[in-house]
Amino acid sequence: MPAGQGIVVGNEIPYKASALARKQANFANRFTLDPEAKCYMPGIPRATYMPFPFQIVQGTSKIMMVYEFAGANRIIHLDSVPPPPANSWMGHSTGRWDGDTLVVDVTSQVDQTWFDRAGNFHSDLLHVVERFSLPDRDHLQYDIAVEDPEVFTRPWRMAMPLYRRVEPNAVRLEFKCVEFSEELLYGHLRKKP
Amino acid sequence: MVTYARSPKASRPALAAALARAIAEAPVRRPSRCFGVFVWAVAVIMCPGHEVGAAGLLRQRQPASRTPAGRTWTVPRTPDGDPDLQGVWKYATSTPLERPTQRDCNQTIGDVRIVAPCALADKESLTEEEAAEFERRSRQGSNADRRDGNLENELFRAYNNFWYDDERVKLIKSHRTSLIVDPAHGKLPALTATAIKDAQNREAARADLARRYGENGRMDGPEDRPLSERCLSVRIPVLPAVYNNNIQIVQGQGYVVIVNEMIHDARVIPLDGQRRVGRAIRQWIGDSVGHWEGSTLVVETTNFNGKAGFRGATANMRLTERFARIDGDALRYRFTVDDPATWVRPWTAEFPMTKSTEGFFEFACHEGNYGIAGVLRGARAAESVQGAKPRP
Repeated sequence: MPAGQGIVVGNEIPYKASALARKQANFANRFTLDPEAKCYMPGIPRATYMPFPFQIVQGTSKIMMVYEFAGANRIIHLDSVPPPPANSWMGHSTGRWDGDTLVVDVTSQVDQTWFDRAGNFHSDLLHVVERFSLPDRDHLQYDIAVEDPEVFTRPWRMAMPLYRRVEPNAVRLEFKCVEFSEELLYGHLRKKP
Repeated sequence: MVTYARSPKASRPALAAALARAIAEAPVRRPSRCFGVFVWAVAVIMCPGHEVGAAGLLRQRQPASRTPAGRTWTVPRTPDGDPDLQGVWKYATSTPLERPTQRDCNQTIGDVRIVAPCALADKESLTEEEAAEFERRSRQGSNADRRDGNLENELFRAYNNFWYDDERVKLIKSHRTSLIVDPAHGKLPALTATAIKDAQNREAARADLARRYGENGRMDGPEDRPLSERCLSVRIPVLPAVYNNNIQIVQGQGYVVIVNEMIHDARVIPLDGQRRVGRAIRQWIGDSVGHWEGSTLVVETTNFNGKAGFRGATANMRLTERFARIDGDALRYRFTVDDPATWVRPWTAEFPMTKSTEGFFEFACHEGNYGIAGVLRGARAAESVQGAKPRP
């Protein structure tokens, strides 16, 4: 997503009072706390709209979304699968077609990912419902419904277009950011000269 | 209006069951660095790059029940008409990449004898009885409840069957003693003169670090540690390891995605044979393109950055992988490594993968890497109590 005026429908994230304090602390310390700076898998929905491309491959009963950032990826199950045994960074995605719209239900995410670089966060009760539709060849309309009763007073939504990379040599390249995060994560454990 | 066109291709010839010849494996190597880490920092560390110890196995498949004599198994097709390789495929086994020799057999770590290579040394394959005995000893060797040694032995065995895929205690179904099928002697070909010199330089550098910092090497910062400790190892070609021996394949129009559970690398492989990544761009996982040869998916990978140095290979390594359904339950994986700067000739390994119904899980190696922090913290603690040089 390019920079803009905001993607939150109604322009307000309905934090509970206690959660808002944490959001503000996250923001104040964002250069060291942001999971992006640590090269952690970004979770859903952040993986979709961060400034790195992703690629969709539609299989018979699974859809793969493969993200450039941190080599993250997720499998969207169109078939019936058992619930996951544990929470994960990219969560558990099940999908279905509503007409020409792909609807993805995402649960079981860890509570350590953020929504953005401003410290907006969630708990492990996060429930995301994504809708991907194709208004024309080169755009996806991406609508997100978010609920998390521990952090927000009510469900809220985001909506944005996603732009196809149309340059002839567009390709999802590798972005292994582990090396770039090591100073932040382990610098304090270095041997002092 | 949106249409998601599917254009079935002309159907390809069925894959005869006669193709089915299963060979499989997994490297048996000394768990040196993970071991050292445990002794040192007593940290729980993930060592995904280390093909540790003696256990592993491929689920036994039963082609006879699936493919009764006289009946031909037909490869399933995707809606696009391609052979359907989709699903989760498991490749756990103890069979090592290279056939061990008697010399490997005599290795010990601490007072723990490395038993696995002895059973396999210098034999092309094991008999049923030998394979059963190998499995029995592997299972015993990886038993987490074993308490028959001193503290060092138990630390050495920290990667026990709690972590293991139980199927990893067995050899591949053919009971062959190496994954390498070419050269026929089951070992890597001879190194080139340059590669021998490079290997000697690496060993000299390692020995120098060991002399200065102890057998576990330098621990001044994360860059000193092996790629596997930093969650930077690369799982290409696919080779069995201690855990996470699964790939998931998804096929869409014009692309195949192969995800390896280890390190969660996903390769999105175009099937039109056109390379998208420029020749000057080098990646840890290289650049893969694919095509079909009959019912076999052939994936060719170049553009490695060389940092992962697979078995000493250079950035110019060319990897050719072949994936083919053998029957309803098994896929044959075969790969050829060609790197004229390293080996005097190309070499090929082969093993089966079996269809898994156990699911496919996220491996958050870097996100959960308490190990490397523990290693560095342990080294700092050691320095503070005994001066600058860690105890070996």
